[in-house]
Amino acid sequence: MGLITATRDLMKRRKNITQIFIFGALICLLAFVPLITNSPYNLHIFILTLIYIIAAASLRFIITSGQIPLAHGAFMGLGAYVSGVLSKHFGVTPWITLIVAALVAMCIGTLISFPFARLKAFYYSMISLFFGVGMLQAIESMGKLTGGITGITAIPTLFSSASKVPYYYCFLALTLISLFILYRFEVSRIGWNLKAIDQSYLVAGSVGISVVKYRVLAVAVGCFFAGLAGGMYATYNVTVSPVSFDMTATLWLIIYVTIGGMGNFAGPIIGTLVLFLLPKYYSGLKQYTPFISAAILFLVLYTFRNGLASIPGLVVSFYKKRRKVKTRIDNS
Amino acid sequence: MSDATILLLVASFLNALILSSMYILLGLGFTFLFNIMGILNFAHGVIYMIGAYICFILATTVGMNPWLAMLISVIAMGLFGIALERFVFRPFLGDINLIIVVCIGIITVLKNAVSVSQTYNVQMTPPFVQGTIKVGIVSLSRERLVIFFIGVALLILVLLFINKTKQGLQMRAVAQDKEGAILQGINVNFISALACVIACALAAVAGSLMGSYLTVNPYMGDDIMIKVLEILVLGGIGSINGVLFAGLIVGVMDAFLPIVVSGTQTQAIMMFVIVIILLFKPQGLFGKEVRV
Repeated sequence: MGLITATRDLMKRRKNITQIFIFGALICLLAFVPLITNSPYNLHIFILTLIYIIAAASLRFIITSGQIPLAHGAFMGLGAYVSGVLSKHFGVTPWITLIVAALVAMCIGTLISFPFARLKAFYYSMISLFFGVGMLQAIESMGKLTGGITGITAIPTLFSSASKVPYYYCFLALTLISLFILYRFEVSRIGWNLKAIDQSYLVAGSVGISVVKYRVLAVAVGCFFAGLAGGMYATYNVTVSPVSFDMTATLWLIIYVTIGGMGNFAGPIIGTLVLFLLPKYYSGLKQYTPFISAAILFLVLYTFRNGLASIPGLVVSFYKKRRKVKTRIDNS
Repeated sequence: MSDATILLLVASFLNALILSSMYILLGLGFTFLFNIMGILNFAHGVIYMIGAYICFILATTVGMNPWLAMLISVIAMGLFGIALERFVFRPFLGDINLIIVVCIGIITVLKNAVSVSQTYNVQMTPPFVQGTIKVGIVSLSRERLVIFFIGVALLILVLLFINKTKQGLQMRAVAQDKEGAILQGINVNFISALACVIACALAAVAGSLMGSYLTVNPYMGDDIMIKVLEILVLGGIGSINGVLFAGLIVGVMDAFLPIVVSGTQTQAIMMFVIVIILLFKPQGLFGKEVRV
C-alpha cells in the first residue's frame, strides 16, 4: 500500500514539474519568435493573435458566469475608439490611452450590467447585442470626432520605429499579464462562485452568493480586458473603423472561444491560435478561410463539444479507465 | 400642408406598412421555431438573404419570370429548412447557448459563400409588377402595393393555419407542452420540421420581395436580423400578438425617424429606446414569464 501512495505522489509531482516545464518552454518559444521569423507579415499575424487572445479570454471569463454577451466586439471597439480619439485629437501618449480605454470600457460595462444582470440567458444575449450595435452606431454618428464610417486614421503609435519587433514583445508581455490576472480570478473564490452561478443561479443565491454582484464583477473584468485589447488594436493598427468591431467581430470571438472550449481556461488561447495560424498553411485558399474556420467549428461541435482544449483530458481519462480495468483484472 | 409634405408623409406611411409586414413575416418564423423547438434561430437573417439571392440570380442571370423565381426560391429554402432541422438543430436541442453558437456557424458559412461568389455592386431583383397608380396628387408604385398585399395575405394565411388546421393546432399543442403532445400521439419531429419549413419559406418570400424593394447584398441579412430581434424582444419572445404589435411600432419608427435625423442616428436612437423599455419590462410588452 505504502509503495502505491509513494509512486502516486511521485507521479503527481512529476506531472506538476512537466506542466511548469511545458509553460516555461512555451514562453521561451514565444520570446524567440521574432528571431525565427523575420518576415514582417508573420510577425503581424502573431501580434494580431496576441490581441485577440486577450479579447477571447476575457469573453470566456464572462461566459463562465453562464451568460453569453454579444457586445464584446463592440466593447473592444469602444476601447479602440477611446484610445484613438484621445491620442489623436487630445495628444495623450498611447501608453496612457491604453489604460484609459480599458477603464472606460470597464465603467460602461459595469453601468449597463447592473440593470442587465437580472435578465436571463437569451434575453441577456439579445439585449447585449442591441446595446453593442447601438453603442457602435452612436460612435459612428459622432461625425467629426470619430470620422463616421471611415473611422479614425493616422493614430499615433506606441513606438517610433517602423519595426514590429518592439510591438511583439510589448504585447506579449501585456497578454501574459492579462492571462495571469484572468487565471488568478478563475482559480480564486470568485471564479468558483461564477461557476456555481452558471450551474444554477437559484442554488447559488440560496447558499449566499450574490448573483447580481458576481455577474457585474465578471462583466467588469471582461470589459476591462476587451477595452485593453481594443486600445492595443488602435495603437498597433493605426486606423480604426466601425467595420472591424461590428456584430461579425463578436461572432468571431465566440467562434474562437467555442473551438478552443468554453469550459477550459486554455480554450480561447488554443482556439485563437488555431484559427489565426492555420490560414498560413493554405495561403492559396485565403478567401475560403471563413469556410475552413466554420468547418472546424462544426467538427468540434459534433465531435468534441467541450472544445479542442478538452482532448488531452479525454485521452488521459481514457487511459486511466483502461488501466483501472487492467489492475482490477490483475487483482482478481 | 404643401403637396411635397403630403407626398412625403404618404410615401413614409406606405414604407412603414411594407417594412412592418416584412418584419412581421420574419418575426413569425422566428417565433414558431422558438415556441416549438425552444431555439433562437439567429441564422434567420442569413436564410432571408439566401432566399433573396436565389430569386435575384434566377431572375437576372437565368432570366426567369420574377414570380417563378420567387416560387423556386421559396421551395428551395423550404427544403433547406428540413435539412436544417434534421442535421443542425436536432442534435443540439435543449442547450440554448450551443444553439446560438451553431447558428453563428451557419451565418459564417452562408454569408461568406455569398460574399465570395457575388459582386458588391448595387443590384436589385427586377420588379414583379411595373407602373404606378395615381390617387389624387399622390402616385403610388404598383409594386409597393403588391408587396404590401402579399405580406398581409401571407400573415392572414399563417394566422388561419395556426388557428384552424389540424397541423396548426398540433403546433400549438407542442408549444404548450412537448411531453403532453407526445403522449397524445403527435409526431413532434414532424411538427418541428414543419415549423422549420414554414419559417424558412416565409423568410424566402420576405427576402425575394425586399430584393426588389430595396437592394440585394450579402449584408442585408444582418440589418434585418437586428430589426427582427428588436421586434421579438419588444413584443416578448414567443408571443404572436407581440410580434404583430411590435412589428408595427418598429416599422413606423423605421420609416418616419429618418425624416428628422440621419440614418445611423435612427438606428442608435431605436436601440436605446428598446433597451430602456426592456429595463422596465424585461419580458417585453406581451411576454410571459421567462422559461429558462
